[in-house]
This record gives sequence, structure tokens and C-alpha cells, in this order.
Amino acid sequence: MTEERRIGVYICHCGGNISDYVDVAAVREALKDEPGVVVAETTMFACSDGTQHDMINDIRGQGLDGLVVASCSPKLHQITFRGVSKRADINPYAYTQVNIREQDSWAHGDDPEGATAKAIGLVRAGIAKSRNSSDLVPLVVETTSATMVVGAGIAGLRAAIGLADVGLHVYLVEREPTLGGWVATFGAMFPNDQDGRQQIAHLTEEVAKRPAITVFTNAELVGKSGSFGNYVAEVRINGEPSETIRATVGSIVIATGFDTYEPEAGEFGYGIEGVVTLPEFKAMVDASDGTLTHGGKPVRTIAYIYCVGSRQPAGGNEYCSKYCCAASCHASLEVGKIDPSIHQYHLNRDIRTYGKYELLYTQSREQGSVYMRYPDDTPPTVELTEKGQLTVTTIDALTQSEELAIPADLVVLVTGMVPRANEGLTGLLKLPVGDDGFYNEIHPKLRPVETVVDGVMIAGACQAPKTASESVGSGLAAVAQSAAILKKGVAELDPLVAVVNDAACTGCGECLKGCPYDAIDQTMCDGRTVALIIPSVCKGCGGCVPLCSEDAIDLLGYTDVQMRAMIDSLVEVAVS
Amino acid sequence: MKYDVMVVGSGIAGMESSIKLGDMGYKVLLVEKEASVGGRMILLSKVFPTLDCASCISGPKMSSTINHPNITTMTYSEVEGIRRAADGTFNATVKEKARYIDWNTCTGCQDCERACTVAVPDQFNAELVPRHAAYIAFPQAVPKKAVIERAGTSPCIDSCPAGIKAHGYVSLIRSGMFEEAFQLVLDATPLVGTLGRACYAPCETDCSRAKLEGTIPIRRLKRYVADKHYSEQDGPGITVAEPNGKSVAIVGSGPAGLTAAWQLARLGYQVRMFEAAARAGGFLRHAIPAYRLPHDVVEQDIANVTALGVEIVTSHPVRDLEALKNQGYDAVLVATGTPRSMALGVPGEDAAGVFTGLDFLRKVSLDELPDLTGRAVVVVGGGNVAMDAARTARRLGASEVRVAYRRGREEMPAHTAEIDEAEMEGVHFDYLVAPVNVVSDESGAVSGLRCQRMQLGEADASGRRRPEPILGSDFVIPCGAIVSAIGMEPDDRPFEAVTGVARGHRIKVDPITLQSDHPYLFAAGDVESGATDITRAIGHGRRAAYMIDNWLNDRPLDGFPLFDDPLGVVDRDEVLARQTRHTHRGPVRAHSVHSSAPTDFAEIEPPMTEEEALFGAGGCLDCGVCSECQECVKACPADSIKLDAKDALHEFEVGAVVISTGHKLFAADLKPEYGFGRYPNVITGMQMDRLLAPTRPFNTILRPGDGKVPDRIAYVSCTGSRDETTGNPLCSKFCCMYSIKQNQLIMGSLPLADVTMHYMDMRAAGKRYDEFYEQAKDMGATYIKGRVAKVTEKDNGDLILRYEDIENGGGIVEAEYDLVVLAVGIQPNREVERLFGGEPLGLDEYYYVAEPNAEIEPGQTDIPGVFVAGTAAGAKDIVDSILHAGAAVAQVAAHLTQSELAEVVPV
Repeated sequence: MTEERRIGVYICHCGGNISDYVDVAAVREALKDEPGVVVAETTMFACSDGTQHDMINDIRGQGLDGLVVASCSPKLHQITFRGVSKRADINPYAYTQVNIREQDSWAHGDDPEGATAKAIGLVRAGIAKSRNSSDLVPLVVETTSATMVVGAGIAGLRAAIGLADVGLHVYLVEREPTLGGWVATFGAMFPNDQDGRQQIAHLTEEVAKRPAITVFTNAELVGKSGSFGNYVAEVRINGEPSETIRATVGSIVIATGFDTYEPEAGEFGYGIEGVVTLPEFKAMVDASDGTLTHGGKPVRTIAYIYCVGSRQPAGGNEYCSKYCCAASCHASLEVGKIDPSIHQYHLNRDIRTYGKYELLYTQSREQGSVYMRYPDDTPPTVELTEKGQLTVTTIDALTQSEELAIPADLVVLVTGMVPRANEGLTGLLKLPVGDDGFYNEIHPKLRPVETVVDGVMIAGACQAPKTASESVGSGLAAVAQSAAILKKGVAELDPLVAVVNDAACTGCGECLKGCPYDAIDQTMCDGRTVALIIPSVCKGCGGCVPLCSEDAIDLLGYTDVQMRAMIDSLVEVAVS
Repeated sequence: MKYDVMVVGSGIAGMESSIKLGDMGYKVLLVEKEASVGGRMILLSKVFPTLDCASCISGPKMSSTINHPNITTMTYSEVEGIRRAADGTFNATVKEKARYIDWNTCTGCQDCERACTVAVPDQFNAELVPRHAAYIAFPQAVPKKAVIERAGTSPCIDSCPAGIKAHGYVSLIRSGMFEEAFQLVLDATPLVGTLGRACYAPCETDCSRAKLEGTIPIRRLKRYVADKHYSEQDGPGITVAEPNGKSVAIVGSGPAGLTAAWQLARLGYQVRMFEAAARAGGFLRHAIPAYRLPHDVVEQDIANVTALGVEIVTSHPVRDLEALKNQGYDAVLVATGTPRSMALGVPGEDAAGVFTGLDFLRKVSLDELPDLTGRAVVVVGGGNVAMDAARTARRLGASEVRVAYRRGREEMPAHTAEIDEAEMEGVHFDYLVAPVNVVSDESGAVSGLRCQRMQLGEADASGRRRPEPILGSDFVIPCGAIVSAIGMEPDDRPFEAVTGVARGHRIKVDPITLQSDHPYLFAAGDVESGATDITRAIGHGRRAAYMIDNWLNDRPLDGFPLFDDPLGVVDRDEVLARQTRHTHRGPVRAHSVHSSAPTDFAEIEPPMTEEEALFGAGGCLDCGVCSECQECVKACPADSIKLDAKDALHEFEVGAVVISTGHKLFAADLKPEYGFGRYPNVITGMQMDRLLAPTRPFNTILRPGDGKVPDRIAYVSCTGSRDETTGNPLCSKFCCMYSIKQNQLIMGSLPLADVTMHYMDMRAAGKRYDEFYEQAKDMGATYIKGRVAKVTEKDNGDLILRYEDIENGGGIVEAEYDLVVLAVGIQPNREVERLFGGEPLGLDEYYYVAEPNAEIEPGQTDIPGVFVAGTAAGAKDIVDSILHAGAAVAQVAAHLTQSELAEVVPV
């Protein structure tokens, strides 16, 4: 700890996100004379480049060595302001971000006075934390220029090629005996009638051309140890006998894809002869020899029922599966190629042929497909009449909400995507899963392929329903992200890790048992067994600190001294 | 300079591409045409479906971009051309647009913005509010530096031979800054009051408003500020430089000499003027009649000069310039004008009652009034002096005044207004007649002028058709006096012995430097140029002073940037096209009363009222955008304003190119049935995003028509999308979602407001998008499926929507709303077509950058080494753009890696 930190405090309006509820000027007024505070300012946007420059000027001009910004969640801007500290040549870990937006102004919009008082307390605590901070140095680790891609569908294949082409070694791990995933089963695909089987054949050939790609089929990722930049991945190759190999990789790209929704028996008549899912229908169309028949009879009328397994009421699959509208429009065009006289009825809730896919919808209508909207609360029903006629009954909103019965030879349930059952992998990598069952990215807008696990990326439909080309795009985005972190050859890790006070440690081993990351080992120190924390593996979760009965573990950046000082500051406010 | 990659456009896709490539270690050149990076995302309120504040998440990206060690960012710069070299790399020309503010010293304090007197629609606020010509793009701009928008030199400034910033003072006047306006003119010349009356005002001829209802009254505005200044203050009210110990003699005190004296005296020169006449002012005092230019106005203007310590020695003709130099002057300026009238050159012209125009006018100016009572007067000539003489003769009681001119009215050199006014005052015109001889009576006095009729032949050197006599057409105009005003020329006696004499007795000097072959000797005004007008003479006087100052300070005399290197004039059609809506403004005309039989020399033109001045100046269209009013120059604490800055071209070699030039939004006025542009309460989705943004212009949601907080808000989806009538059959993808987002934000801000969206298909396709839609429904937004046919406006500004209601039987329904938001869609940014010279970049049939193999090779274009990221390739929302940028980056890195490998492999 330095003798006496000279701290700059900046309180952000966040446009009006904060200042509409928190009197930021009052916060500044209350804290400008806190011990250690040299500069206290309010600012419209603390994160704007202009304010960042002002901070740097203040740091240099006033000789500051500590920084507190009271703004939004550290998830958003901790890195931003550590960067400011770095550019101003002060220790970035003497920076404290105080969240007075998510944890204050947004939460207490009904109580501006209370929100202001809370902000004063939070910022005072933040100042106390910075005041008691130590200068820390990031851990620098050399990284391995190799990536493991899990899943060899179209996203994984393209990602593997992309990674190899930027000079990284690739381990491509596929659970199935063959490469290609879903797309390998498709014929012509929207929007440009590219043949899925041919696309996969082409990509597989490209993979084979690249010596930098090692392919494992019948294989699963079953173990992961080490840390970001140098994960040791354990791959089990199933077979007789199974074999397990280990590869050191800098990053991992998860591209495990989706499963297709399987309707329950009776759901929209599923189970009745002639009621098929979209993938089943797609296979029929792809396999057509120039006619379309079902059960030996030529198909004259097709009814599509959209949103099966998607946009379900609360408790079901509430999400939209995104690809199925365009896929169905495209399928109807393929049917038209086989026999333009086939009647096609599309019972939908919205046709979501976004962007250029709209052209498919237009063409489909021009070719005679009839699109009818059914009410959200009254979905169509499918039954077999006494005469054995498959009939779809629906309410057509446009024609005075009349009930229509459509006799059909084939009913296509436009089934969506569901998350793949991947519990083993999910648990192994500690991947966050959203309430829709798909993997969650760090930020759905700006960081869509990164996860909270450093160096582990998600690509393709394992993150959310996607079209094939969107999956390829996200696969390549994961390539870019891998290359961005691995091409330098070294990575910096936060030094916010636990440390052991050897003198106080009794070597009881409790902390070893409690560490979820296996980051603690034991070593001999002056003839005694003591705990040893491996900094590159430690995540800084702090779980070991309270486990230690001797108070021999401290968490850098969140030391007991800092935490107590923060609590004292908060209490001081509460009491005063 | 070499870079690994050039990224064109710094929206979210461009920033993401640059940062990722920079992280990989590639050297990136990022080119952005606006003054700040950030593109459109930074301007949004929040983003769907997370409702993150757009500023909060894109601001840091902007900062990371600009501070990245591997990224060089050029903002306010445009790619002029990219050419592919034989080795597969690219040569790019980038124009760094003149910012007119030195960014090395600009602190972003915005003092210039506050001082600026020009307001133009703020493109960063979707034109809901104005911004200044000097501006910082938006509050979170990166870098936070100001620029001054200059579309070109305004036509009024460009046409002024005196270099007066007409746009500038008009702009100051409309801001109520009358003294500043006076000072701006004073910066050019002391003759503010004079020009306010006697200038021929080419600025008004060229005024863009003249193409609409009529010109801005630019000249009379100048008179207004001059009158105001003179009535309120003694002296010019300026500070001058300390004396610099050098002295200049100026011969002649007309407009050129007075202007030069003024300019030099302000720089600290000791100036002495020598005037042959008993009073200073030259033609201003002795030729221009007082009904046009009152003598006291000339005196007030001249007093500006003498107030600076300039001494005017009158009744002091200079005969020997060399002697003057030898008296110790460091330089001598000859500005003696054209005091000699040219002779008629016909027999009998020495008869009593024949005057030259200048003599005639001078006598009148000195109150030596010839008695013309009851006499008929013929004025020969068609210039302004002829008009002045004719109208003066009317005032001296002439029974009839005829102007005899040898060509037609079209060819007359006098200004049209002068001719018109002469006619109004009862002057008759005889066109196509030339004098043959003067007819005298026995006493030797004039009794008539014999003329012959002329016809027009071929064009002569001046471009006018040459008059040719018609034989035998002689006739006599009976008259008692003749004024010959057929031309003037310099008196070359003072200089013929010293320096060369050019054609027409003009002094010979370099036309740019105005310096003679005797370096100390300069000349300005009509003595150099031949008879012109006071405004040109003033310009000449300024040039002479500039050159003398440079010469006396050993600086090169290679041109006067003010006149010799101005910013090109702005295209008037472009100015008119820029205005989406004109407010009709009737021109402010002078209500001059012209008597058909004038009797006195009182000033004819009445002054403007303050109201007229403000209204008249308020019509200015700000053609050049920046008015050059100089207020920012005065306000800038860092002395950073550089109005003479120039665009700079830079050449780069780059290994690959990323096109991330983004998109345009549909121009909603192209759907006239929705009334955008006509009904103020019909706005676009982007405008609503601005109304909701943290940096929102009104700090609340209100409707622009009357500022009312709206209770009933309707959204019209698919405006300009999925619509063959607009030529766009595509879906724009993001409009449904941004509408839903705005629906939620509005319901948050205005809990009592009803929000209704008219939609075709709700395209909530994307992670958590449909859930977001359901959330909006749960919050109370209403969604009506069916297209809107028409919007009409009621008298109170409310709007009636006529729409189809599909879910309730498909009927046609009307509903009333306070505010209508058009969910405008995406249009291609066709500027991309200009980027590539030679090998054009392939576009798809909708003019987006084509990705020939989009399914497997997203981001690849049809030119190897050129990649596309973001909406340049088609409709995308933010996360799509981020992912697409990621794909483009992977492609770029693969391309560069493979190129490197190819290089090291021996052939």
C-alpha cells in the first residue's frame, strides 16, 4: 500500500440515467473532502473519450494515484477505466468502480433522496477501497496457438478452416462418426438453393487439405484443466477400446448446434399418418424423384402449421426459432418445382422472412402458396375425419374470422430448434445457460461469441437458433476472437487472486477442498506444509478466504483491510 | 504510409473490425467521414432486447478504437479512390477534409460552437434541432474536437470584389449582433455607409434566395448597421496595432486610397494621403450625387480613417512620385482614379453649355449649380455617370432630359436599377443614336445635338454588338445643354515619367502584386484598372495594402489568399436542394419614392427598420454553411480556428480493405401518403430514438409540431420496406425491433400514453427478441396487424391514420393519434460505389455490397483482399453487424496470413 493515495473521484450523470434520480452534485459535495480525495468532479458521460482525457490530465496534473468512478456496473466499464489508469501510468488496480446506476438510480427511481444518500455511501466505500488498494501487476502467461473446436457442423467446420488459415492449430472434435451435422442431411437450402450435402463435402475437403487441423470423430471433450491461454483439453475417442488424448489449447470454440423440436404425440395431430415435422418434410422433398407422394398417394394439398415448438406460452419454448419461416417458404418453392399444381396453405402467426429472405416469401406467394394468419390463442387443429381425410381446421383472421377446414394430404408441422442436451459439456466448461436452454454469451449485443469463461467461445446454434449462414458467420467471429487473444502469444490475466500468508497457514487443507477451480495445491515452506495458490488457475472467487480458520488467505484487490474499510464507510453513512 | 488493413467507416462494424484486427497485431487505418467515430449506434437511445444504454456500450468501443495502439484513425476524411496493385495490395487515396480548426490545439471547449451565428439541421439529432456550423458532432464524440462545416464560399461573398463577408454580416445581423456586423465590414473597408448605399451589390444578384422569392437585402443591411453605428458611436471603435515605424504615402483619397490607408494604419503604419481636391473622398464626394450617397455619410466613413491618425492633405496634387518617396516614405501608393472625362470628339463640343459628366457632377457636389431651369438637356453615354448626370439634371430644373446612347438598352453598362430609377424620374432614352456635332446658336451657346441613328453589327471585343451608323439618318435633338459622359480615364501625368503607362493612360503594375517596376511604388483602383466601380476599387485598395505590408516585411508577394485562393463557391442548386423545406419569405424591398420631377438632392432610399433588418437577414439560406462571421475566431481561447485550411490528400498502401460504410435510412418523404415533411407530428423512428436518447434534444418526448407531450402514439412499420412502390421489396430487419424497443421506452417515460403499432409481420426473430415483443405486449402496447394506407392531419396537428385491421375481419378503419412514428427501413449507402477506381466493387441487385458466396464465405466481396462488414452488405441489427465484422476480420486475417505465406515461399 502506498503511503497516502491521492484519489480522483468522478461521478457520472450517465446522460440522465443516474442524474435523473441521484443528485450527483450533492454526492460530489458530500465526498470532495473525504481523506485522500484530491479531485472530485461530476461528468455527463464518464466513459466518453473526452472525460477519459480529462481524467488522464487530472491524474498527471494533480499527481493522482487512485481513481474512483461512480457510474454503471463494473461489467460495463471496469476495463475502460483501468485502461484510463494504465494510459495515465498509474496502477490500474487502484481503480474502483462504484455502481450507482444498476444498484442505485435504476433501483430507486421512486426515492431520489434515498438514492442520493445511497450513492454517497457507495461512493464513500469505493473511495475507501481505492485508498486501501495495493499496486498489483497483471500475470502474463504465454499462450498456446491452438484452438479446440467442439462440434463439426457447418459452424464448427468453417471455424476450424478459419482458425487454420490464420495460423492456429486446430483440434476439431465431433461426437458423431461423420462430419457435417444437420446441414450434411439437407439438399437445396435457402436462400440460394445451395445444396447442404455439397457444402459440407466442400468444407470437409478443405479441412482435409489443412495439416493444421486434427480431426477427431466419435469423440467428446471430457476434461478441461489449466487456464486461459493454456487449457489442457481431454478428448475421449469412443470405440473399442476408447482412447483418451490430451491437447493443450489456447481457446475453445463450442459449436455443438441444436436439436430439432420433437412434437409430443397428439400435438397438432403429430402421430397421425400424414403429419410430419419440418425436417421430415425437408427429407421427403430432398429425396423427391420428381413427384411428391406420401403413403403411396400423390400429395395434392399441403398445410403448414407454423411455430410448432416455438413462441409457446410461458413455461414452454417462448423463443422464436428464427429459421423456420424462411425454411418453410423455401420448401414450398421446392415443392412448386416438383409440381406447381400442389396446393399449399401456410397457417402462420407472422412470417419472419427478415432481410433478403423476404424475397422467398414473395416468390412463394407469387407461386400460389396461400398464407393465413391464425390467432395466437386459437391455434389450428389437426384431425382425421371419419372418412379418413386429414383435415386442418383454423380461423382465418382476414376473412371475418371464419373457421376454415382444409383437407390436406400432408400436414407439415413447422418445428423449431431446441437446445441440444449437453449437460456433460456444460458442466465441464461451466458454461452459462439461459432460461431458453441455449448457451449465454457475455453480452448479447456487443460480445456475442464470448462467454464468461475466458477463452471459451460459442458459435452457431448452440447460442440461439440461427440459419446455416448465420452459424457460419458466428463461427468465423469466434475465429476472429480466438485470433485476437492468441495471435499475440501472451495474455494478461487479472492479478485479483487469492494469496496465502505462509506464516499463518497451518496446512489444514480445508481451502483445497473448497476450491471449485482446483487452483490450490500444497507445498513445503520452512519444513511445514502450506497451501499454495496457482495464480493462473485461481479465478479470484474468494471462496477460500472464509474457509480458512486462521485468516491466512487474502484476496488481492478485495483484501480484508479494503472490505472492512468499505463496510466502515457504509456504516458511517447509515449511522449519520 | 503502409498499413496492413484499411477499414472504411467507423460505425459499430468498422470499430469492431478495427479493434479485432488491431488486437491481432495488424496495423489498421480507420477512415471515417464524420468528425467522430461511432456511426449510428452512438446516437441511439437504448438497444434491444437488453435495453442497454447505447452510449454506455458503444462509447467505450469508440474510446478503445481511437486509443488502440495499432489503429490509426482518420476522422473527417474520405476515401477518394482505392486501386488494386499488381501484387494484390491496394493503393488508397484519402482526403483529409479541412476542419478549419487545428485539432492539435483544440480543447473541445465548444466556445466556437456557442459563438457561431449559423444554424443548420443537426444530422446527429435526425434534424429535429439545429446545430451550428462550428460544432462538435455530439456530446460523446471521439475525438471530442470541433470542426467548422464549410460547403464552399457563399455566393454573396464569392461575388464581392471587395472581399467583404456578406454572409457573415447578414448572419450577425439576424443574430442581433449589429455592431459586430458593422465591424466585420469595417475589417474590409472604412466605407461601410458608402457601400450600404452606392455599392452595385453583386452579392444580391448572386444570392441564392434570389432564385426563390427575391434576394436578401444585403446592401441595405450594411447601410442599416452603418447608420446604427454612426448614430450611436463616435469613431470606428477598433484597436490598432502599435506604430511600426514605417510610413506610406497614398496619392488620391477615393475608395481605393481610403481603404488602403485604413488597412495600413490598422497594421501600425503611419499613413499620409494627398488629395488634389479641396475635400477628400474622390468620386464618392464629387461624382456620386448626394441623393444616392449623402455627403455626410462619406464624411462619417472618412472619419474612420482619420480617427486612426491618417492625415489627409487636401488641395495637394502630387506631380512627382519620386520626390514623395524621397521625403522618406517607405512606400507610395497611387490611387488617383480616373479624373478625366473623355472628349465627345465631335465638332462644336467647346460650345457653352457642353459639360463633361465628371465636371458637371463635381460642380453640383460643390454646390456650384449650373442653371438648367427650363432647358432641355442631352446626356450622351450609357454608363452610371450618364445616369447620375441625367438624374442630377432633372433636379436642376431641366425641362427635359434625354440620354442618347449608341447601342440598345440591353447593352448599357449602367446598372439596371440606375436606368430604371432614371426612367422613373422622367429621363427619356434615345437608343441607337450617336452624336455627330454640337449645334450652337449665334451666341456660341448650345442649341442642339446632331445625331445619327445606329444599328448593331457584329460583336466587338467586349462581346457587345458594335454600333454602325445608318447613312443619311441624321437628325437634331434641340437642347440647351449637353453632358458628355462617354468614359473616363486616368490622369497619367504624375506617373508617366516614373513608371510605364498602359493602354488607356493606366499605370503599369503587376496585376497580382500591384507593384510597379519601382518596388516602392504601388497602384490601386481605377488608375490601374480603368474605370470600374467603388467596390472593385475597395478590393484593389485591400490588395495594395496587403502587398505593401508584405513587401515592407520582406514577405513574398505571391498572391492574396482572400482573392487569389478562396474556397470554391458553393453550388447554388446544391444549396436549394439541401433545404428540405423552405419557409416562404417575401423579400424586404426599399420603399423608395421616385418623383417624376425631382427637385432636391435628399437621399431617396429610406433606411430599414430593425424589424426589417432582422426579417431580411433571417431569410439567409447559409449557402456556404459557415458564414465567415469570424465570431469563432474571436471566441477561441486556443487560437485554433484556421478558416484558410485546405483539404489534404494522403496516399496509403494497404494489404486489405474492409468496407464498413453502413447504410442510409429510408427518406420518409418518399412515402407522401404518410405526410412526413408536411405534417410536423409525423416523425421517423430515428427521430424518436433521438427523443428518447440520454442526450435527447428536448429532455422529454414531445411532438415537434407544437411541443405537446403526446398521449396517443402510433407506429407505422415497413415504411419504405417490403414495398415495391418504393423500389424496395426487402425487409429491413431491425425496424420491428427498434419499434418495440421504443414502445417500451415510451411506456416507461410516459406511463399514461397509449402506444399502438401497425405492423405487417412482427419480425422479432433473434435471441430473446420474441420474448421482448411479448414483454411489450404485457406492458400494454397494442399491436394491430395490417398496413397503414394514409395519414391526414387535422387542424390541431393531430393525425388520422387510415389502416387495415386484419385480425378483426380485415376492415378499413380510421384512428386518431397525437404523434405518428414511421418505422423507416434501411437503404444502401451508395457512396460505396465511388470508392473503387478501375475495378468496380460488385454490388447485388439492391446496391448492397455483394458477397458472392455469403453462405460459406461471409464478408468476402468479388475483389480478393476486399471485405465487407456490417450493413454495407445488407440489413443487419447491431449484433448481426458485430458478428459480420467478426467474420470479415477472420477473412482479412486469413487473407493476410496466406499472403505472407505466399511471399516467403520461393517461386
